[in-house]
Amino acid sequence: MNGSRISRRGLLKGSAGAALLAGGARPAYAAFDATSADNTDVLVLLYLRGAMDGLALLAPISGADRTAYELARPELALPLNGTDSAVPLPGTAFGMHQRAGLLRDLYLSNHLAIVHAAGLMGATPTRSHFDAQLTMELGTPGQQSIGSGWLTRHLESATNLPATIPIPAACASASAPASLLASTQAASMPSGSEFRLNGWHWSWDDADPNVPTMTPAATRLKNLWSHGDALDGHGQRASDALAIIRPMDFGAYAPANGAVYPNSGFGAQLRMIAQLIKNEAVGLRIATLDLGGWDTHESEGTPGASWNYFGNKVEELAQGLNAFYTDLAGAGGANYISRVNLVAISEFGRRLKENQSGGTDHGHGNLMLALGGAVNGGTLYGTFPGLAQEQLFEYEDLAITTDYRRVLSEALIRRMGNPNLGAIFPGYAGYSPMGIFQGTDLTPIYQAPQNAVFGDGFE
Amino acid sequence: MAASSPGPVSIGRRNLLGSLSAPPGSAPPPGVALRKPNTAATAKAPSASPTPPFAVRALSKMGFGPRPGDLAAFNALGANDDARHAAYVEQQLFPDALTDTEVDARLGIPAYQTLGKSLVQLWADHEGDTDNWLVRMRPIRELDCAAFVRACHSKRQLKEVLADFWHNHFNVFGWDWEAGPVFVHYDRDVIRPNLLGNFRTMLESVASSTAMLYMLDNQSSTVSGPNENYARELLELHTLGAENYKGVIDPTSVPTDGNGVAIGYVDNDVYEVTRAFTGWSVKNGHWQYPAENDGTFVYRSVWHDRFGKFVLGKLFAANQPDLKDGRDVLDRLAAHPGTARFVVRKLCRRLIGDAPSDALVNSVAALFQSQWQAPDQLRQVTRAILLSDDFKNTWGDKVRRPFETVVAFLRATAADYTWQPDDNDAQWAISEELSYRMELTGHRPHYWPAPNGYPDAKSRWLSTGTLAMTWKLVSRLVEFQNAGSFIINVLGQTQAALTAPNRTAAKIVDYWLDRILGYQPDATQRDELIAMLGQNAGAAEALDLSTDSWNGGNLKLHYTQSRLRTTVSLIGMMPEFMKR
Repeated sequence: MNGSRISRRGLLKGSAGAALLAGGARPAYAAFDATSADNTDVLVLLYLRGAMDGLALLAPISGADRTAYELARPELALPLNGTDSAVPLPGTAFGMHQRAGLLRDLYLSNHLAIVHAAGLMGATPTRSHFDAQLTMELGTPGQQSIGSGWLTRHLESATNLPATIPIPAACASASAPASLLASTQAASMPSGSEFRLNGWHWSWDDADPNVPTMTPAATRLKNLWSHGDALDGHGQRASDALAIIRPMDFGAYAPANGAVYPNSGFGAQLRMIAQLIKNEAVGLRIATLDLGGWDTHESEGTPGASWNYFGNKVEELAQGLNAFYTDLAGAGGANYISRVNLVAISEFGRRLKENQSGGTDHGHGNLMLALGGAVNGGTLYGTFPGLAQEQLFEYEDLAITTDYRRVLSEALIRRMGNPNLGAIFPGYAGYSPMGIFQGTDLTPIYQAPQNAVFGDGFE
Repeated sequence: MAASSPGPVSIGRRNLLGSLSAPPGSAPPPGVALRKPNTAATAKAPSASPTPPFAVRALSKMGFGPRPGDLAAFNALGANDDARHAAYVEQQLFPDALTDTEVDARLGIPAYQTLGKSLVQLWADHEGDTDNWLVRMRPIRELDCAAFVRACHSKRQLKEVLADFWHNHFNVFGWDWEAGPVFVHYDRDVIRPNLLGNFRTMLESVASSTAMLYMLDNQSSTVSGPNENYARELLELHTLGAENYKGVIDPTSVPTDGNGVAIGYVDNDVYEVTRAFTGWSVKNGHWQYPAENDGTFVYRSVWHDRFGKFVLGKLFAANQPDLKDGRDVLDRLAAHPGTARFVVRKLCRRLIGDAPSDALVNSVAALFQSQWQAPDQLRQVTRAILLSDDFKNTWGDKVRRPFETVVAFLRATAADYTWQPDDNDAQWAISEELSYRMELTGHRPHYWPAPNGYPDAKSRWLSTGTLAMTWKLVSRLVEFQNAGSFIINVLGQTQAALTAPNRTAAKIVDYWLDRILGYQPDATQRDELIAMLGQNAGAAEALDLSTDSWNGGNLKLHYTQSRLRTTVSLIGMMPEFMKR
């Protein structure tokens, strides 16, 4: 796989031919023929929207950092004693929120890795949710004009994927996130069971074996998006995605291995993704989903109190991720988790010092999580920069010591087998894996691809 | 259970196909794929998709599309398009002079109980109810439906478009636990009165509104415990915008204009603005003031940080009179050219296209700024945008977002149903299905949880999920029934428009294309619809619309009424219908 070249063939897509988005030319990517053995790993991106309070999920439990933590968070600090105390991670100076036990289980069984103090580097720091989320998902800190998401560029530049895949990327949402901006290979679907065109009167809705000469309405609809309108590509993709998903029965899905998903939208989305992964004919390689509600400026809640908003959220997160892992961790051919890699990220962390509304304000460095069968879990990665005043960013926040792209690059190379970092994260150099993921390192290709044609009917 | 594979799992293509595991019957249909090789043969040359007549364009961009009779009324306003447009714009810029009896009647039915309640009443009747969620949230449940009633039936179309815009600009999550019960006040008394008025006035109305004070936590912001949430979003979302955010840098390093006002803001400004708004709160029975509990705005001077503040390069003195710190900040922001450009560009993006011309933005921003104290500033600004050549000559730079598609379809088909909250647990009302499916599209009214409001970029609303869920909802609209009758009387309107011998597939399709699109699309589109409706009927053969039963051997007779409804719904799903 060393030295894979990126061909410079431009791509024409859809009915409108090549198009350039405002903001400049974008690179051309490899032809869609696989030049090497197909990679079947799945990368699942979970975005914790609103700036999750990493210091409340994983807190220092000893030393000078503990002292600083307690001083800064008289109300919100995870206690050291009692039934609601932080649960220590063995061999570390950190303890996890008591309600995140199911996450801790994953850590202790070496499936979950945690990265300290990660975040956006290489640009003027920002405490704007929207700014940070967007630049992170575009993969270009400090710049927002690139016009495509980093996952889009991964799918376009990968040379180890089949030329034809029914659904390479699925988003558990109504619209694709910015990480898949401009992708023509992503299907956004907020609900598996609803993702079919069965709202018409049944008589003309679907192909009927008793009426073989009938053209169903869904086919007519696709035809109406195939007669040369500039928007056609979007409608055709939606039609195709609907047709691909239609045979799947999401109501009948039974999680395996005793997995119990949380009874919430988040749980349903994880289930949907697991079901898609197990339906290998779909060919899923990328999945995205969000869990929001982390912007705890007020009433974050304290461990053990009747109001424990943050505790409820981490419990849902933990239950969801644990169920997802369990569901996919079967034996033999059902050992899907061996090729599934979930990365959880948030736009930034929250301030060390609590505010007077029982909450915390926008911060800087934060955790990243990595979960999967090929993850070297049970370890805290990266450098915790410390909570003494002079160690904090602007005397306020946990500093950042790991560029978030470093973690994602390692997943891209060691798991997805795609070394085209120059295309995926333009301007990012110095690939240096932390050992989070199992796999072979490839020589990264840092040069930006030439030749500016990329796009679909995207006027 | 960790697999210790040494590298990415590589399976030859043959092995992969051979070892595929999939539940029986769930495999995708062959040959359908999102990732596939692209060849020139599959790329279709764009046809010359016709541009709709001006009346259709105007009513689709500054409103939710025409209802029967609207196009004729528009065209009767003048001798040419420019004259008609100017007259229509002027009429729409004074919405309260247009009587809206239909909306008044529809929102006057018993199901609507809260729309007239004062803030104090809303607080007492709903905010105070912590046991019964349906009662507590009744105000937003009503607005969830009223949004459709108004957009569908109001003559004040521009006002409804602007209400949607300004609600999103000053977004409050409608189902927020604290803001939901008082949302009627936010909609009626804060957003709607100001949308053609003065931006500075709207800013203060929003800043002191109970809904926003809860949404962005300022009601708990005090000198001893300041909360920066509102201050940050005031700068980033409501006024200067992220484009004028200079990041976490030294405020004195930001360049200033001729008056010493910084050209952009930094985090330090967020903190200073936070201090300026400490004490802006709500009478909510706080333990320090337990007898004050009616939900109205209150300024608590003891909670206010009285010392001097340094905002956007200039100092505000210490110990200013009550409320003056916050008001001075709002003055500075409302008068700032950065605010003018940010807000105007956003409004142009809403009405014209995703990349409005700098020339237009700059000229209207100059107007915005020069008129920052005029009571009709926003009317002037909106007028300038609507009368611009950019507005008149642009088509298709935007797509309808799901709410707009649904409303436009309901208007064009003359749907007759008043959406309303339903308390009957025994059934799933069509209003409930509408809300449920709107949520799946990602565009349910007042349902965006973050303060930045729904995105307004064309690409965002062409995602597969959004299209799929919108299509599905449109297909359901023609099937919705109330008390045994379809809310969209496709059959009746078809029969009324065409006498029996004239009910050929072509004439029926043309009738509904005219009703829904307002113009003829490319011939291939028309042919597809005629094929759908006519099946094996001859070109001059009238269809029998009286039957709706099985006839699999003779498809022109196979569930004809359902086929008619399905065909009409397909018009509402065409790419042409999505454009604006």
